[in-house]
Amino acid sequence: MHGIAATQPYVIALFLVWAGLMKLFSRRMRARAGQTALARLVGAARAVPALRLVGVVELAVAAALLAPPLSPWEGTAAALLCAGFLAYLTYSYVAAPTASCGCLGAHSRPVDVRAFTRAGLLLAASLVAIPADPGPPLVALGLAEAVALMALSAELDRYWLTPLRRLLVRLRRPLAVVPSEHVPLGTSLHLLYRSPAYCSASAQLTSDVQDTWDEDGLRFVVYGARERTAVFAVPLTGDDPSAVLVTLVAS
Amino acid sequence: MTSRRDMLRSALLGGGATVVAATALGSLGPEAAFARSASDVEPGAPDPNFAEGRIRSIKDNTLLVLGSNMVFHSIKVVDGTSLWKLGPVPFDEAKPGDGLYARGVRMPDGVLAAESVWLNIVNIKGHIKNITDKTLHLDHNGQEVLCHVVAGKSVAVHSESPPTADLSMLRVAQHVQILGAWRPDTNEVDIATVFSPH
Repeated sequence: MHGIAATQPYVIALFLVWAGLMKLFSRRMRARAGQTALARLVGAARAVPALRLVGVVELAVAAALLAPPLSPWEGTAAALLCAGFLAYLTYSYVAAPTASCGCLGAHSRPVDVRAFTRAGLLLAASLVAIPADPGPPLVALGLAEAVALMALSAELDRYWLTPLRRLLVRLRRPLAVVPSEHVPLGTSLHLLYRSPAYCSASAQLTSDVQDTWDEDGLRFVVYGARERTAVFAVPLTGDDPSAVLVTLVAS
Repeated sequence: MTSRRDMLRSALLGGGATVVAATALGSLGPEAAFARSASDVEPGAPDPNFAEGRIRSIKDNTLLVLGSNMVFHSIKVVDGTSLWKLGPVPFDEAKPGDGLYARGVRMPDGVLAAESVWLNIVNIKGHIKNITDKTLHLDHNGQEVLCHVVAGKSVAVHSESPPTADLSMLRVAQHVQILGAWRPDTNEVDIATVFSPH
């Protein structure tokens, strides 16, 4: 246990300082305060003052954790704050499931299991910090905890998770297709919709595509047209809409 | 089927192509399932020629559909009815549990004689959270939707360019709109078209 309790105040303070500074000074966060669950809790008009108040409390607890003298009350205050976060997340999850939490920065993602895990970890760290161990902190443990907490922060995803996923997509190419002679129907329909033939006949059409088949480099597409049938021939190659043919046939 | 196709083919190619007179009515592609009808329906009143819901049972050529507003619809599918389920499909592809939108003509007995039925069609916007094997993980208002690429069916429309079967231009974190077919009672969708702004 030696050193573990001494490490926690630094980790907790790091996140409280980050959260407090974002709430006090991020213009983007203030602009989006109305979309957080806090706005639902205290009313949209009071969202920004409430956000600032929480930020001040967070900075005050962080300052108490970092500044000497050590006291069990510091860990207790941090634990109470983190328990409050958990209660707020639960409220947000239940009462405003589409709102973001507004915890550590502006983003639009609603509260999910990662947000709960992060708040739970901070609460656990606060409880561990209560004995007020004066020993030297364990740097490796502190770093590991900070990395774990950051990995749980959706606010940081665009700095590491999105680039990582892009890199994996570039390496693995999960959507690469084998070159194929087959032309998807959607491609032919796109050409069809832009053709003068379709524009001239579309007012007569009453159904979506009834039937389609390929023959001699043409794709035939059949629509219902009131009591008649509209038949289009769309070239399978080329992208000239004026090459599309149409006729109306009495059924 | 073959003789009918032959007849339609020869009518088109043999008889010489015609361009018919246009009037003000619009098209009826899959997008039309979401189009507002320009009919003379009172604002706020249900369109009698439209039905939506999920298929409870199928009897002969009639679909018994429970609407999301708890109204039952009987929808009759006839020879000329088009059915869409990730593309044109025959009637036996309609299964109980499928969601649908249908347009047609309301008969005096209350049955909707369908002209077009779109099964499980969905139109969702979101951003791509991740791309794994032939699957886009779409974040749609915080809900994850798995969008599967179907070989030979799925196309991507980048900006104004023609649709392509090659979806590999899609990137993680970009915004897309997906027209596709929902797999009933799952969070999964088969992709018909991905619309990408760039």
